[in-house]
Amino acid sequence: MQTPGPAAVELVDITKRFGRVVACDGVDLALQRGRIHGILGENGAGKSTLMKVLIGLVHPDRGEVIIDGQSVTITDPIDAAGKGIGMVHQHFSVVDALTVWENIALGDVGRLDPAAVRDRVGDLSRHYGLAIEPDARVGDLPAGMRQRVEILKCLRRDPHVVVFDEPTSVLTPAESEQLFDALRRVVDEEGRAVALVSHKLEEIRHATDTITIMRQGSVVERIATADSDAASLARAMVGRWVSLRTERAALGLGIEEAATVDDDVDDEPADARDVLELVGVSARGGDGRVLLDDLSFEVRAGEILGVAGVEGNGQRELGDLLSSLAPISAGEVRVDGRPVRCGVAGAMSRAGIAVVPEDRHDSGCVLEMTVAENLFLAEPERIAPRGVIDRRRMNDAAIELIERFAISCEGPDSPLWSLSGGNQQRVVLARELSHEPKVLIAAQPTRGLDVGAIEYMSDQLRLAAETGVAVLLISTELEEILDLADRIVVLSRGRVAGEMTRRDLDLERLGLLMGGADVSEPAP
Amino acid sequence: MTDIVAQPAENSPDEILAATRGRHLVIGEVVGLYVLSIAAALVLAGLLVAVTGGSAADVFNALLDGSVRNPGRWGLTLGAAAPLLLVALGTIVNSRAGLVNIGQEGQLLIGAAFATYVGVRLPGPGPIVVVALCGAGIIGGALWAGIAGGLRYWRGVPEVLSTLLMVIIAAQAVGYGLKNEGLLLSAAGNRANRNQVSEQLASDTRIPRLTWFGNEFPTTVFLAIALAALVAFALARTIPGFRLRMLGQNPRTAQRAGVGATRYGMGSMLISGGFAGLAGATMLAGGDFGNYQLVPGFSTNIGWTGLLVALVARERAVAAIAVAFTFAGLRTGSGFLAATGVERKITDVVQALLVLALLIPPAVLYIRERRRALNAAKERV
Repeated sequence: MQTPGPAAVELVDITKRFGRVVACDGVDLALQRGRIHGILGENGAGKSTLMKVLIGLVHPDRGEVIIDGQSVTITDPIDAAGKGIGMVHQHFSVVDALTVWENIALGDVGRLDPAAVRDRVGDLSRHYGLAIEPDARVGDLPAGMRQRVEILKCLRRDPHVVVFDEPTSVLTPAESEQLFDALRRVVDEEGRAVALVSHKLEEIRHATDTITIMRQGSVVERIATADSDAASLARAMVGRWVSLRTERAALGLGIEEAATVDDDVDDEPADARDVLELVGVSARGGDGRVLLDDLSFEVRAGEILGVAGVEGNGQRELGDLLSSLAPISAGEVRVDGRPVRCGVAGAMSRAGIAVVPEDRHDSGCVLEMTVAENLFLAEPERIAPRGVIDRRRMNDAAIELIERFAISCEGPDSPLWSLSGGNQQRVVLARELSHEPKVLIAAQPTRGLDVGAIEYMSDQLRLAAETGVAVLLISTELEEILDLADRIVVLSRGRVAGEMTRRDLDLERLGLLMGGADVSEPAP
Repeated sequence: MTDIVAQPAENSPDEILAATRGRHLVIGEVVGLYVLSIAAALVLAGLLVAVTGGSAADVFNALLDGSVRNPGRWGLTLGAAAPLLLVALGTIVNSRAGLVNIGQEGQLLIGAAFATYVGVRLPGPGPIVVVALCGAGIIGGALWAGIAGGLRYWRGVPEVLSTLLMVIIAAQAVGYGLKNEGLLLSAAGNRANRNQVSEQLASDTRIPRLTWFGNEFPTTVFLAIALAALVAFALARTIPGFRLRMLGQNPRTAQRAGVGATRYGMGSMLISGGFAGLAGATMLAGGDFGNYQLVPGFSTNIGWTGLLVALVARERAVAAIAVAFTFAGLRTGSGFLAATGVERKITDVVQALLVLALLIPPAVLYIRERRRALNAAKERV
């Protein structure tokens, strides 16, 4: 640390193991008042574990937590709050059915004074520039607003130390900006210590004062933000030179860069035929809520169509629909001009639509089955001549796929749950691509994966498109879309809010569309 | 295209060794668990009997004598094991598909009723009638389970509830049938002074019995064992079995892969009920349960116990063979307990303890497996 000020909290020599995995290995970290500390690392670098130690969700095997010079034991998050440490989690812990102020009052003891809480919420939101309506029902709010609820809930307890875990993953670029402004106020005007955990280089460089980089459970570098440059940070984080376009995007090395890196992107041939068409598709939830609203778009052979948008605007429903998991109330889905029945088991798959689903555990694989079985879920006929599964044929075919897709596992017989997330994803991908699909749907394909796995997935999507498959990429990570897509449609409230090709890309307009703004087509 | 960054897929010799050692540990663990659990039950049971003034040794000897040691007893045990195994096999099929059928007792009774109706009325050569009455039993049981399946898939009624409640309806329906000569009740001249009893199956329409070393048992035993092998094979190696397991473990993945929950789920319920119905039919025509005729309460808990057999066998068809024999042994062995002079309530508790001892290890193993999978999942996050 360059200027050792008074540390609000210090973590000394923290070590935590989960089984054979060392999540944190002798990590030291001091969070000083009046500073934003960036904690940077890939998925699995130990950032989250370290922060969980700080708020008492994880108890370290070794090491101590020092607050104001005194060693303390933090038993649980309530204890941590009492000691002035609060955390805004990546996954919100708000109650949808309650209003904003009720959510903020949750956990209070004694008599509830609604008027006082409401006033305080108003004061806080004005003070930090995080405008919010105290009487709104949280379930009606978009993700960015729900996060504000979390932040206000945390700040109301007047903590000395606030931890933000990947706070921008659900925000539009503009919302992220507002969040960073609020953070600045928290540290500059009130002298609190803020820890910002992220794997996005650009936002860490943009929003922090000092940076701690973690890799494989250890701190590899501490540096003042002013002295850092993106390339060296990326190198420290991944432990090797980062040059690939995909990696740069994965690390959030700047949207502009990712978007402009190659202007020589081959414009898709205008005469490519439409393979997948959605025509006026509408779907409603069980409660009558409109999930997809007159949604129309088409994906051509050999192109990657990116579906951008903020989470919760119909992405999940679109993925479910194309996985035969949900019926529709109006419209039509066509593959090669032929309509496909929606919600009928296996219909989409038979029509040639392969899916790498948003949540592979939900609809992509069977954890309790073996790797080999998972590779032939949709077409067991291929390994079962005359209806009886031929073990040898299954294993041989599985080994071939395991090698072709470089799946790291003990063998075709190992249960799928014994594989790492990235390798489970490869199993899904291997199965879907081995059926020679006409359409490949990739829904949030790189969520929760590390850089190496992201790179692999991106390559596979490009390769699929090159071989003439129509690829539909549904992602809330804008960088991913900008990096891969030839054409972009923005999904907002279950309908296409706008469309643009890579050539006439306009980031501002894209951001506005994602934010739900009503933007008419730009003048030609 | 850039080169794919392959992760090393080979495992070091150390890791392979560790994995093998792990497998041995698991087997040792399973055996150890059963030994520990049964030993604890025996000690507890022994203490209980001793405290209440009986002789623990007498009780256990009686159980062993009654189930296998005394002349002719293991034949009886086999005869009781066959329907238990059949019920368990059906249960395994529906559990693998992710459905909970706990109404085997009723499905079995309806199966027996259908078998009775066909068996006493169908003219023709004996062997054909036997086959026909078994078929009728299968249809009856499948129908009863199918109603619950239909309610589940077309009306959203949880099958746990409907199958259970339909046991009660089955008992009432069969009771009604046994009051009507047009249905199941025997002609007045043939039923002496009994109220509710069906016609007896003619001697040539009964399942043949064998006598080995002085032990008599019905040939159903071989049928049940063959079916156990068939179920094990079908689940592990055939496409429908594969799809059924897929449905049970991840219905959404299954739906995407073309396994419709309604079609396969209904199918598994029908098979499950069919097995229970077949158990009922073979009990009727096998001779170990009553006098080749249907009476109220004919099912005598075979359905419930068969459910336990499937649970203890942890849904594995081959393991169910041994478990079914064990539970049948407890059943036949208990016949000798009265002679020990130990009070009935106490011997009931002793039996319950032994059943518990068999149930605890599968539960522990199941929880451990889940926890292991969960930890593996957590470590990766």
